[in-house]
Amino acid sequence: MNSMRLFRWLLIGEWRKHIGQALVTLLAIAIGVAMGFSIHLLNSAAFNEFSAASKSLSGQSDLLVRAKTTLMDEAIYPQLAAFEGVAVANPVLELDVAIPGKQHNRNDYKLKVIGIDMFRAAQIAPDLLGLPEEGKVMDRLADDTIFLSPAAMTWLAVKEGDHLPLQAGLQQLTLRVAGGLVRARSGQRIAVMDIGAAQWRLQHLGKLSRVELKLKDGLNHEVFKSKLSKFLGESYTIVELENQETRVANMSRAYRVNLNMLALVALFTGSFLVFSTQALSVSRRRSQFALLRVLGFARHQLLWQVVIEGIVLGVLGSLLGVLLGYVIAITVIEFFGGSLGSSFFPGIKPEIYYDAVAAWVFFAVGLTVTLLGSLVPALEAARAKPALALKSGNQNAIMKKLAIPWFAVACLFLAGILTQLPALNGLPVFGYLAIALLLIGGIALMPYWTTWFFAFISNVTKRSGINVVEFLSLARLTNAPNQASIALGGILASFSLMVAMAIMVTSFRVSVDQWLERVLPADLYVRTAAVGDQGGFDLTTQQAIAALPVFSQADFFRAQQVLFDSNRPEVMLFARPIDRSDPRNTLPINSDGHEVISLDSLAENTMPIWVSEAMVDLYDYQVGKHVVLPIGDESHDFKVVGVWRDYGRQFGAVQMQLDDYQRITGDTSVNTVALWLQSAVSQEQAIEALRQLPFGTELEISRSSDLRTISLEIFDRSFAVTYLLELVAVIIGLSGVAASFSAQMLTRMKEFGMLRHIGMKKREILMMLAAEGGLLTGLGILFGFLLGWGISLILIFIVNPQSFHWTMQIHFPLSWLLIMATLMIATAAGTALLAGRRAISGHVIQTVREDW
Amino acid sequence: MKQPCKNNKKQLVIGGLLSLLLGVMIVTGTVQSSRLLPVLPNKPLVFPKDYGAHPDFRIEWWYITGWLDTEDEKKLGFQVTFFRYQTELNIDNPSQFAAKNLIIAHLALSDPTQGRLIQSEKIAREAFDLAYSKQGNTNVKLDDWFLVRDDNGIYKVDMRTDDLGLQLSLQATQKMMLQGDQGFSRKGPKPEQASYYYSEPHLNVTGTVFRKQRSVKVNGVAWLDHEWSTAYLDTDGDGWDWTGLNLDDGSTLMMFQIRGKKGDRIWAYAALRDASGNMKFFQPDEIEFTPIRTWKSPHTEAIYPVEMRIRTGNIEWQLIPLMDDQELDSQQSTGAVYWEGAVTLMRDDKTVGRGYLELTGYAKSLTL
Amino acid sequence: MSPNMLELRNISKGYAPGKRLLDHLTYTLKAGEYVAVMGESGVGKSTLLNLIAGLDTPDSGEVLINGTAISSMSDDAATQLRRELFGFIFQAFHILPHLTLHQNVALPLLLNGQSLQRVEEMLDQVGLQGRGRDFPHQLSGGELQRVAIARALIHRPKLILADEPTGNLDPDTAQEILELIRTEIKSNGASAIIVTHSHMAAATADRILNLSKDGLHPMST
Repeated sequence: MNSMRLFRWLLIGEWRKHIGQALVTLLAIAIGVAMGFSIHLLNSAAFNEFSAASKSLSGQSDLLVRAKTTLMDEAIYPQLAAFEGVAVANPVLELDVAIPGKQHNRNDYKLKVIGIDMFRAAQIAPDLLGLPEEGKVMDRLADDTIFLSPAAMTWLAVKEGDHLPLQAGLQQLTLRVAGGLVRARSGQRIAVMDIGAAQWRLQHLGKLSRVELKLKDGLNHEVFKSKLSKFLGESYTIVELENQETRVANMSRAYRVNLNMLALVALFTGSFLVFSTQALSVSRRRSQFALLRVLGFARHQLLWQVVIEGIVLGVLGSLLGVLLGYVIAITVIEFFGGSLGSSFFPGIKPEIYYDAVAAWVFFAVGLTVTLLGSLVPALEAARAKPALALKSGNQNAIMKKLAIPWFAVACLFLAGILTQLPALNGLPVFGYLAIALLLIGGIALMPYWTTWFFAFISNVTKRSGINVVEFLSLARLTNAPNQASIALGGILASFSLMVAMAIMVTSFRVSVDQWLERVLPADLYVRTAAVGDQGGFDLTTQQAIAALPVFSQADFFRAQQVLFDSNRPEVMLFARPIDRSDPRNTLPINSDGHEVISLDSLAENTMPIWVSEAMVDLYDYQVGKHVVLPIGDESHDFKVVGVWRDYGRQFGAVQMQLDDYQRITGDTSVNTVALWLQSAVSQEQAIEALRQLPFGTELEISRSSDLRTISLEIFDRSFAVTYLLELVAVIIGLSGVAASFSAQMLTRMKEFGMLRHIGMKKREILMMLAAEGGLLTGLGILFGFLLGWGISLILIFIVNPQSFHWTMQIHFPLSWLLIMATLMIATAAGTALLAGRRAISGHVIQTVREDW
Repeated sequence: MKQPCKNNKKQLVIGGLLSLLLGVMIVTGTVQSSRLLPVLPNKPLVFPKDYGAHPDFRIEWWYITGWLDTEDEKKLGFQVTFFRYQTELNIDNPSQFAAKNLIIAHLALSDPTQGRLIQSEKIAREAFDLAYSKQGNTNVKLDDWFLVRDDNGIYKVDMRTDDLGLQLSLQATQKMMLQGDQGFSRKGPKPEQASYYYSEPHLNVTGTVFRKQRSVKVNGVAWLDHEWSTAYLDTDGDGWDWTGLNLDDGSTLMMFQIRGKKGDRIWAYAALRDASGNMKFFQPDEIEFTPIRTWKSPHTEAIYPVEMRIRTGNIEWQLIPLMDDQELDSQQSTGAVYWEGAVTLMRDDKTVGRGYLELTGYAKSLTL
Repeated sequence: MSPNMLELRNISKGYAPGKRLLDHLTYTLKAGEYVAVMGESGVGKSTLLNLIAGLDTPDSGEVLINGTAISSMSDDAATQLRRELFGFIFQAFHILPHLTLHQNVALPLLLNGQSLQRVEEMLDQVGLQGRGRDFPHQLSGGELQRVAIARALIHRPKLILADEPTGNLDPDTAQEILELIRTEIKSNGASAIIVTHSHMAAATADRILNLSKDGLHPMST
């Protein structure tokens, strides 16, 4: 087709001339798509592997029965095995056991040990059967053996036949590595023991974690479930595999969605870049297009011309992005593992599989974004009146269409409304929409702001006298705001998001830091490598510690996990002595927006609990509510008397009085001892005194300062990938500035030529450009701050509470923001200067002549 | 003597159930344990106590084989086995789950219309009340499978799965048959290679056979062996041929030979009891097993002498299988492969009785 | 002050070796003189203007403005000289679209650091009374060139260089503009060189010169 050939010629001609711009645009799209795609791949790989790994632990079971607390009495097992309709009942005791010598790494020192009855497991989860040395089949039943997955062997540096020390509470035990778990997933760190041996050696006699059930064929699962749950009563939960998957998914969903959102932001910023380069390219070619129109090019052909350019850029960029994303994902997995700095997916080694559907989706998103970016300029090019456009001059018209103020105002207004909406399906969807609208509205308002702002500056400076450089820069910025704001769009988007993230992360970090101070008031914290839901310290050891003269006070904590909802991860239950006169002295009570009920006003037998913010969001545990909690073997009534802030557990935590707990459960063991030193005693002396106790070497002693440091390190690590994404967004924004500056250089050649003629020095022209770039970026940064602040409010007060169920106070990283702003202004001015080298080349002299 | 053949070492089975048991039998066969009791002569069996389990011995089984007539007049063979195996592990482990004793059960049905064995098996540790072997009287249970002898001497068997099941009631019509020297049954040249062994032949069977969707009423004649031991098989043993037969005239024949690795014969035993209860024991040189016809398993390529001429003293008998393919091939789960089949006893070309023939150690050259 | 506004001393300029555009050209323009330069396309008219304005340097020879050799000046010095002494009128007007007429006209004053009070007066003179606040896109071609003339003369330059100033205008408007140029030049006492293909335009000058391979010579009529 001839018109296609013409399209091609024009397209190639345009790009041949401006290959740099085309490449930058291409790269921006590619980077945006690549970030999104690689994050998706990494997250889904990690998530799939994690869920496959946890699924492999329960094999082919139809249902599983577990208690609401971590462990349950084994007496339920024979009842379940004999229950009508059950084909196989597979009892499992799953414990995370500390490895002596690995304790220095707080997050990574426990081995998941699964106690199974091989004869039952063989029918449900045969992959968990260990492979013993030939002729030693009985090792599978022995009470001194353990089977390790290949990853666990590597991690522990042991092989078949070696002896493996484990720490169970205050005791050490040694097991013989009798063989491997050849069918464990790659990277999955697990160990298997006989269930009887595990109960005995790991001190969990009479306890099970769960019983997995395989039902007889042809049974109605719903009917069975309801019968079974009637039989089991309140203390047990029946979990279907879907529940389990949902629970695993829920654990990391908010985190994953937030990361994906950030990746989209990179893409979004990229689309501004597409828009600005396309808009400028169209504006540069106004006369060319007008000529084409005069020569008989139809309006829609012109539209197509620009759109096809967008399509080619979009297809190439998105294709490159998908490939790049795949490569990035593989590289990251290879070198950093799959958890992206978070601790949501421990103990697995995911593999990236090429996900064709996702690849297409990201390709399509990239293409769509590019098309959207080229559509407005294309429409504008097609709409232009050829006769007018042939004349030099007014190039501003093209951008005028964008700057309809009511559109911007509507965006901002809608954003305001969206911030008032609750989470959708547990995700802050409306919050993110509000952020997007705020950005779009802010950018659409930009031309007005630019005009107003620079007109104001001009007026101010007029009085104090002005030189030609200042005059020209200001005049241009005031009177050609649309062109200016096109360059600004990308920088505004990326900088405001960076500001928003910086404010959010700082607020979060400062809040966490202050919170840590509140929740770690003691000098030393002592734990044992307790296994399962055991306390670790029995009464005798508690007394021995409390009796040491070096301490002025010892508080005992009992913590365990309780399942409230089979679709959600467990809730942490803390029992500890809480100051009766003022619970604020013990807990970081959040009294903004939450009532606090005084303990004196409670009836005699009412037991108080204090819940974390997540409990209010997830379980509607409002202050004053009476709730029933499955604690110990039965359920008890409690009243919610206060809400406390908890940055440690996004799935909820409950605090209760230790004596209440001990009274209703009879469990006097504790997990943690918080110790305050006598004034004259140093930490070293205190630690030494603890070490002298008979069980002293088995204690895990932490200084509160160390705990704080470690916590903040973990915090920083989990935000590392966020910083990276921000950086990418800023780089894309800056390349947008560079691209639009250099594009503007071309459209302004005649201007520079004229100015050179009438006596402007090269240096002055450069200064003018630098001033324009600097001022523009300065303005972008100023509004970026404003917009970013607005977005940070949404992040802090909407996105975070809705995703993670915690609130925080706002804090500004002022000096950091100033440094970033300075750096960006300098970069932008530098970029403008670099682009301006063309503006002072000899060539500009020629451009004033029309007869070339 | 009714245990499955020794494990073929070339078979490496990960999910082994029975292989666990089979694997240790050879190994521990010559090792005397201090914890377990040896089998000694001149210790007469005491009933009803010895109907029950003997946890102080390493291994013990109740093994029932028999012929059934269905209500539509078809012939079926069946085999029901409960093993108890002492692991000698977890001695001090107080856990309820401690794997001290294992219970293994096996069910097989020979149906000529099917052309091969239909079988099912289970294994569990003795724990809670899910699996046990009680002392005092025969009472073995594995989940919902059980074999129990009531006070009237009637055995009840109930073993059902989704597509196969038996529910039988077995009643003695004769008194029991103590094998060897009053129940002390030698298995090899060494005196400790022995077991306590009694049989209950001519059990009258009534009950139901369950197959997939349908069930069929049956009656027939069966044979029960109860045997327990600590040390058992000679290390030179390669396999054995065993048969137990209920003769139509009310007499009973049991005989076995243990074949050596070098093609020799390590031990042989035969006892014939007539209807009035007179036992006749035969000397090894009076006992002969002579293959007449072999059958090559299409599943394992093992060659079994499924048709045998046997001789006790001057009597020649002939064993004709109900069908050829009664190979118990459970490589996927147990790794054990042997032939355990219903046979007809012929004498002078006339059917004189029915019973079971067990041929082990023939699949050893098998390679996977 | 030298009586000679412009002296071209034996200047040569070529862009390709062996192919000279201007060959040993010599010419003197007296103060207050208004000349038109005509010539065929490609003969070097634009090059000549660039050399005069110090926007380009000759391969040999000298260009003297008011007795000063602009051709051997640094770029900055030449630019400084240009902003003070020169006024430019272009065929394509080159009025900055983002500046008002007032601001466009005021540019040379700003460059020279002079007071802006003459701008309105200048706009009056070129016939754009009261339109200082308008933007260029509101103007016709003739009006734009009037702005350009105002910009060229606002800072009372000594030498006006006009490159085909009526090339983009219709004949009636061209006539008006040419008269305006002449009037303004004369009333400001400036010298001027107008490069044009148009005999009508050339006719408004004091003298008409023809640029050819042989040099710059009076037009033989």
